[in-house]
Amino acid sequence: MTRTVATAIALALAIPAPAGAHRLDEYLQAARVLLERDRLLIEIDLTPGTSVAPAVIAAIDRDHDAAISPAEAKAYGLEILGDVTVAVDGRATALSLQRIEIPSPDEIREGMGTIQLEAAGAPGALAPGRHAVEFRNRHREESSVYLVNALLSRDGVTTVLSQQRDSRQSSAHIEYELAPTGSPIAWTSIAGIAFVALATFRRRLGVKPRALAREAAGVH
Amino acid sequence: MNTRIAGLIFAAILAFGTMGISAIQRAGAAPDATARAVAAAEAFLATLDAQQRAKANPPLNGSTRTVWSNLPTGIEMQVGAKERNGIKLAAVTPAQEKAALALLASTLSRDGYDKVMAIVEADQVLEERMGPKRPATSAIRFGRGEFYLSILGKPSPTDKWMIQFGGHHLAINITLLGRQNLLAPTHTGAQPASYTMAGRTIRPLGDENDKAFALINSLNEQQRKQAILSSDVRNLVLGPGTDGKTIAPEGVPASTFTAAQRGALVELIREWVGILGDAAAAAKMTDIQNGMDRTTFAWAGELENGKGAYFRIHGPTVFIEYAPQGNAPGNTDHIHTIYRDLSNDYGDRSATR
Repeated sequence: MTRTVATAIALALAIPAPAGAHRLDEYLQAARVLLERDRLLIEIDLTPGTSVAPAVIAAIDRDHDAAISPAEAKAYGLEILGDVTVAVDGRATALSLQRIEIPSPDEIREGMGTIQLEAAGAPGALAPGRHAVEFRNRHREESSVYLVNALLSRDGVTTVLSQQRDSRQSSAHIEYELAPTGSPIAWTSIAGIAFVALATFRRRLGVKPRALAREAAGVH
Repeated sequence: MNTRIAGLIFAAILAFGTMGISAIQRAGAAPDATARAVAAAEAFLATLDAQQRAKANPPLNGSTRTVWSNLPTGIEMQVGAKERNGIKLAAVTPAQEKAALALLASTLSRDGYDKVMAIVEADQVLEERMGPKRPATSAIRFGRGEFYLSILGKPSPTDKWMIQFGGHHLAINITLLGRQNLLAPTHTGAQPASYTMAGRTIRPLGDENDKAFALINSLNEQQRKQAILSSDVRNLVLGPGTDGKTIAPEGVPASTFTAAQRGALVELIREWVGILGDAAAAAKMTDIQNGMDRTTFAWAGELENGKGAYFRIHGPTVFIEYAPQGNAPGNTDHIHTIYRDLSNDYGDRSATR
C-alpha cells in the first residue's frame, strides 16, 4: 500500500532540512472531487513544507522507527479522512480509504514528498439532473493551505455547473449536472445491446447477423 | 562550478544550439521537422554504447511516457518512478552531450531552446546555492548534469515516438507522429526565477509573467471581476502526475475580449506553444485560435507586476497554468507551469484520427 517504505536513516531525523528549495512553513493539500452516477471520488495530494514536515512525520511514523509501515500509512490516511467531510445533496456521505501512498521520511523532510490519497463515497444511485456536493478539509488547519477543484468525468456524464470555494479553498460547494440515462452515450449502449440480443435470437433461428443486415437493407 | 564558468558553458550551449539548428536547416535533405528529428535521434544513439543505448531508448508505452516530473533527482516522482527515463548529461561524454543537445535543438524553436537552457542554468545556480548546505544524507541533486534525455520508441518518420528532456523544473515531452510534432504535456519552471549571468539578468519565464500581467491589467472592470477567482491558488491543479484528469473551465471567456486583448492572450499562449519548432508551433497556434471563443482566462493574486499571481488559460485544445510557489504571497522566485492539451496529451487523439 505504501509507495515507499524505504529503509530510512535514523540519523536523518535529527538533521535539519535545507531551506529555500521548496515549500517552507505550509502544508499544501490539493483536493480533487469527482461525482459519478453511483459514487463520489476524492483525491488529495498532501505536500508538507520543510518546517511542518517533522510534525507530519511524527504523526505518520507512530512507532518512531524512521520507516513508514503499511499500517502506519493506512492509519494516517484514516486520520486525514477523519478531518474531511462531504455531503451529497445535503446528506453526509462516509468516505472509505481506497489508496494512500506516502514517500519516505527523507523526502517529506526535504519538503518535496507528496502523500497521495484516494477515497470513495457511496451516495446511492443518483438520478439525472442537478446535484450538489459540499466538501470540507480541516486536516491540520493551523499550518495548511488548500486547493479544491471539481473534476470532470471522461465519459461526459458529469458536467460542473459551478464551484464556490472559501478564500482558503479548504471548502467548496460544487453543483453538478448528471446527464440523463437516455443521453446519446447511453442510447448507443442500449442500441448495441439490443442489436446483439436480436442477432443472437436470429442466430438461434438459423439467420446469421450478416443476413440480418442484408434483410434490413432490403438486399437478398 | 562557479557562475562564471557556468555562464561560459551556457553561452557555448546556446552557440552550439544555434549552430546545430542552422546546420540542420541548411542541410535541406530532411524537409520536415520529424525527418530532422529522426536523423538527429539516430545520430545521438550512434554515439552511445549498447548499455547507454538501452537506457536512453526505452520503449514507448502508457507507463514510460508518464515518467516526468517537476522534482529533482533523488525524489520519487508523482507517478512513483525513482528516476527519469534516459541518460543524464552528467553521464555522457562531451561528444555525446553535443549529439543529445543537437537532437533537442532539432525539434525546438530558437527561442524555445534558449528558454529550456535558461531553465537548466537556473537549476545550476540553485545547485551552487543549495549544494553546500545539503545534508550528507540527502539524495537530492540539482544542476545541469541532472537533466536527462530519452528517446521513447523507435525514431520513425511515420510511427509514433517521443523525445523527453527533463530535470528539476523541466519536462519537455515531444510526441512525434508522422509530420506532427506535439508538445503537450510539458512542464516548465524556474528557481531562481531571476539570476545574473555575464552581467545580464536572465528570467527564464519572465515573458510569461510580464505578458500575463499586461493582459490582466488590460481587462475592463467587468472582465477582471470574472477573471479573478475568489480564492488563493497555491500550486498547479493539473501538474505532473495528473495525466488524464480534466477540470471545469473558470474565469473570463475570451469571447468577451477585444481584438487587442485576444492578441495579447495569443501571444501569452505562444510562450509555451512556441517552445516547439516554428512549423509545429504555427499549426498548434492555428488550432488554439480556432477555439478561442471557448477559451477562458482565470487569475488569482496580485495585479501589480513583480508580485505573485497564479493564472490559468483553458480552451478546447490548450490548458496552461502558471503558479508561483512558496508560502509568502509575494513570492515570485520559484515558479511552476504546465502546458497541456486535455483533448490530445501525448497525441492520443491524433493517433486515432
